[in-house]
Amino acid sequence: MTSRRSGEVGWVTSAGLVYRLVLSQLVTVGRVVALTAVGGLLALVAWAVERSATNSQWKSVLERQEDAAELIASLGLGSVVPIITLAFAGGTLGDLRNDETLVYFWLRPMSRWPIVVGAVAAGVTMSVPFAAMSVSVAAALLNVGGTMVTAAMLASLVGVVAYGALFVLLGLVVRNPIVWGLAYVIIWEGVASSFGSLPARLSVRGYTTSILGERTNQILECATRSEVTAFVVLALITVGSVMVASWRLGRLDVP
Amino acid sequence: MSQQPPFGVQAETASAVPPPPMIQVSNLSKAFGGVVAVSEVTFSIGPGITALLGPNGAGKSTLLRLVCGLTTPTSGSAQVLGRHTRTDRAVRGRIGLVPQQDGVFDRLDARAFVTLAARTHGQPDPVDAAVQALRLVELDPADRRPVAAYSKGMRQRVKLAAAMVNDPMVLILDEPLNGLDPVQRRRMIELFHQLADQGRCLLVSSHVLDEVSRMGSQVLVIAQGRLVARGDYRQLRELMDDRPHRLRLVSDQRRELAASLLAQGLVREVALRDPSGMVISTDDIERFSRSVASVAVDLDARIDELEPLDDDLESVFRYLVERR
Repeated sequence: MTSRRSGEVGWVTSAGLVYRLVLSQLVTVGRVVALTAVGGLLALVAWAVERSATNSQWKSVLERQEDAAELIASLGLGSVVPIITLAFAGGTLGDLRNDETLVYFWLRPMSRWPIVVGAVAAGVTMSVPFAAMSVSVAAALLNVGGTMVTAAMLASLVGVVAYGALFVLLGLVVRNPIVWGLAYVIIWEGVASSFGSLPARLSVRGYTTSILGERTNQILECATRSEVTAFVVLALITVGSVMVASWRLGRLDVP
Repeated sequence: MSQQPPFGVQAETASAVPPPPMIQVSNLSKAFGGVVAVSEVTFSIGPGITALLGPNGAGKSTLLRLVCGLTTPTSGSAQVLGRHTRTDRAVRGRIGLVPQQDGVFDRLDARAFVTLAARTHGQPDPVDAAVQALRLVELDPADRRPVAAYSKGMRQRVKLAAAMVNDPMVLILDEPLNGLDPVQRRRMIELFHQLADQGRCLLVSSHVLDEVSRMGSQVLVIAQGRLVARGDYRQLRELMDDRPHRLRLVSDQRRELAASLLAQGLVREVALRDPSGMVISTDDIERFSRSVASVAVDLDARIDELEPLDDDLESVFRYLVERR
């Protein structure tokens, strides 16, 4: 071998390498089909609700806006966004750990946090077209105005980022992130967060719903905080998850 | 080997100044729940090939993972080039690892996989480094098939190329010859010798004794998580004094020679095998070696062949691990 000495790898390079690799590994036919179906289901429900409201003589415009916001908040932000993001983000470092390829990033002169950032970015990149787009399409199909569409898109984008970081962390903590993540989404984000302001404040959904509610002037279940507070808290959840995941990655037993 | 081994074998000559250890392991233990995988292992090794030998499940892979810092020891420490691999990021750039597991990024082709390894090591020209490393393991860098389409032997060589792409001073190879055909094995062993000759430290695990005996005479023998012996395996054999040495002797007067050797107490047991040969057992190999020629001369017998039967690694290993 000729003389080649390794140096420390910069964080941009590290994150970029992980991002590209994870992105290429995440795209599987099974995932794409399943998650397109999940997103499509939301659009189908939205279309059915819109048709029903159009045919109804008793619903006012305000009532239709309220129904649309409730649907986007509960089914879109409360279910579709976290489930799709879980399927991608939970499979970033979690998959590498499970298929025993994480060692090819771990045993390198690289900081831990860019590895996590690269994985989160890859998970978010994959989730956005499926989650945020399907929520936005659903909002458009509900036909209650452009404000609903932009609010739904913004809330779901922010939600994808926060959930993405959270589920990358989950993939480093448990062996079956999808199972544990689904339990979390259904039990905590879906059910418990509806039981009052305290659980809502401790759920991502509470904040994404707050953004949607404030932007559309709707009073929504789980929406307990102002838009600014929601952005700040979701940013803190994202940064905190990346920090904990980096710490966890450094102390992981790498197979 | 620079520390006193269990069997008291010293590999270095007394006059040579021992080089600083490239891998140093001190009282290293690892338990998974109640199961002790590695127990109080201590050794240090320098440049050259050291074979880590042990049966399946002996704790070889766990020990190698501990050396690389991939898992936290329950107690003790492991250092590579004087640094703790678990916490020191920089030293990871000087280690090359072939992990035992088969997992690689299946969708990449060999060149992309090794180039990725080069990039993650911060190599200035990762593609060139990858091409060189692939050629070293006799793989075609232009082969665009995904690694998933490769045979197990080819995948092993891809992993080996990825481990060498950063020009590491320390190579940790966990069963690197698995899946390789005999010709490839021989070539890879030659490559290991070349790397060792360049002053690198290679710690190679295997449970295949023939491989180990061809890789080099320095061995660490591990059984049930404990280091049971280390040093030159031929010297280890010499120390097994409580077990008779067996030799095959071929002579034109084997019956007379056997009777005389037995009468003089030079051998414990004689078994006549083929028309001219016999297998003898002796408790005192030195006395036998000194006397056998004169006994033959006295009988006017010719000794055509005299070869030790259990100086091979398998005998050493069986003795150390199974005590038989």
